[in-house]
Amino acid sequence: MKRLLIGFLTITVALAYAAHAQAQVIVIANPGVKAAEISKGDLKDIFTGAATSLPDGARVVPILLKAGTVHEEFLKAYIGKNDTTYRAGWRSLVFSGQASMPKSLDNDAAVVEFVAHNSGAIGYISSSSPHEGVKVLAVK
Amino acid sequence: MKHWTITMFVAALAAVTGAAQSLDDLNIQIHGYATQGFVYTTSNNWNSMNSSDGSPAWTEAVFNVTAQPEPKLRVGTQVRYFLMGSEFGNAITLDWASGDYKVNDKFGVRFGKVKTPNGLFNDIQDIDTAFLWSLLPQGNYPITSRTSILAHYGGVVYGKLPLGKQAGKLEYQLYFGERVLPAGDGFFVPIIEGGAEMPNGLTGPTSGGTLRWYTPLNGLLLGVAWDREDLTGKFEVPGVFNGENIDAPFKIPYFFGKYENSKWMFASEYSRVPADHKTMVTSDIIPQAPPVGTILHNVIDHRTWYAMTSYKLTEKFTAGIYYSSYFDVKAPRVTYLDSTNYPHYWYNRFQKDWALSARYDVNQYIYVKGEQHFIDGMNFGFLDADNNSLSPTSKQTILKIGVNF
Repeated sequence: MKRLLIGFLTITVALAYAAHAQAQVIVIANPGVKAAEISKGDLKDIFTGAATSLPDGARVVPILLKAGTVHEEFLKAYIGKNDTTYRAGWRSLVFSGQASMPKSLDNDAAVVEFVAHNSGAIGYISSSSPHEGVKVLAVK
Repeated sequence: MKHWTITMFVAALAAVTGAAQSLDDLNIQIHGYATQGFVYTTSNNWNSMNSSDGSPAWTEAVFNVTAQPEPKLRVGTQVRYFLMGSEFGNAITLDWASGDYKVNDKFGVRFGKVKTPNGLFNDIQDIDTAFLWSLLPQGNYPITSRTSILAHYGGVVYGKLPLGKQAGKLEYQLYFGERVLPAGDGFFVPIIEGGAEMPNGLTGPTSGGTLRWYTPLNGLLLGVAWDREDLTGKFEVPGVFNGENIDAPFKIPYFFGKYENSKWMFASEYSRVPADHKTMVTSDIIPQAPPVGTILHNVIDHRTWYAMTSYKLTEKFTAGIYYSSYFDVKAPRVTYLDSTNYPHYWYNRFQKDWALSARYDVNQYIYVKGEQHFIDGMNFGFLDADNNSLSPTSKQTILKIGVNF
């Protein structure tokens, strides 16, 4: 019984941690983007170069973080790849002439600054980072 | 077609630079990668390398520049240095140079010298950094013919159509233009080894298309493709006769599928090349040559397929295996016996290959690969000219290091 209880608690803590880790990342967009939410599938398509617009036809431009926990969490939660595999996918598009590499910025503040001032820009940051001047997209 | 596409590309480049107010507006990006391979084979030398002693004669370097002055328009070019053994490459060639106008996700057009989007991997088969494998299945993606089948002069019309939440998406890519197979292409090696020459290679119209269905099952892709090649060129048997290649168009179907999740990847592809290579004798050099006007036939029917899987063991380490098969069902079982009664071309009818592969990504810029092949048959890369006598089976070890930026 004691083992069962410990096991249950361990799973609960792990699930709570996982939920907390995922909740740390928010998706932000330029205020000109009309959509208020985005599906996981559409988000994945945009950040892997498979699509360049939202279902409403609005053109969007993905903005990446260069590295870090938020970047890794975003890739894990929404793309299903690690950074190396993810960038290898983009390189396939770049070296076959099908796309340009998305802009990668150093930190959350730079992403917010860029997204706020560039039409159609869409990025991700930590939920605890200031994000005035951008809108937060709910991921469904 | 070649001149027209280059003119279009230059016009697009001029439009791009004219539209931009500054270099920043052009959104210029520069990327590249380089790889160095080492090949060891147990018995036969491979692709003009002295590989039975171990050979590092496999080097590639790619330089890529793109500009995107506004969201719908992008221009770019890519050049490549390729060295394989003493016979292939050792030159800088133009991979592609194209303008791309993407109206929206449903419709876009690319023009210039463009990658040919047929089959599962054709337009990315050269991008070593994108693959676990050092050498893709050779029946489908022969490395010494890569430059010729990778790109063509002309255009591609492309787009992705949503089929509804329950049905996924359908991607189409239609291409047209001119294909150029230069005289040094790997396709001509058996012809040259047979004593003939194709001094200008083959040139002619190409067209085709690929449909990829991104199914509702996340990660599952199914596709079909169709390719038509209508190529002509000179065919000479030095000192005997001169001729002209008058092939009927090649019509090549492809069927493929791929499933990928965060750890696993499965892929398979089948294609078939049925053709009647026809050569018309245009002038005789010796009296014993076939009369002028004679049409010589060389009927082929290549069937190729592979199945592959890989698994990401850790964040940096991936391992995989594939089996590939190539078989020419129309090739004669024995074309000739050598002085030791060895039936050479029996093993040239097919090639079967088990490949075990591993890749370690040191970081996002550097990776190393190791690959072991167990090959039965000798159709791809095992040349009479490189070997005193060919063995019907080979083991091949490949080590590779790559950098990209």
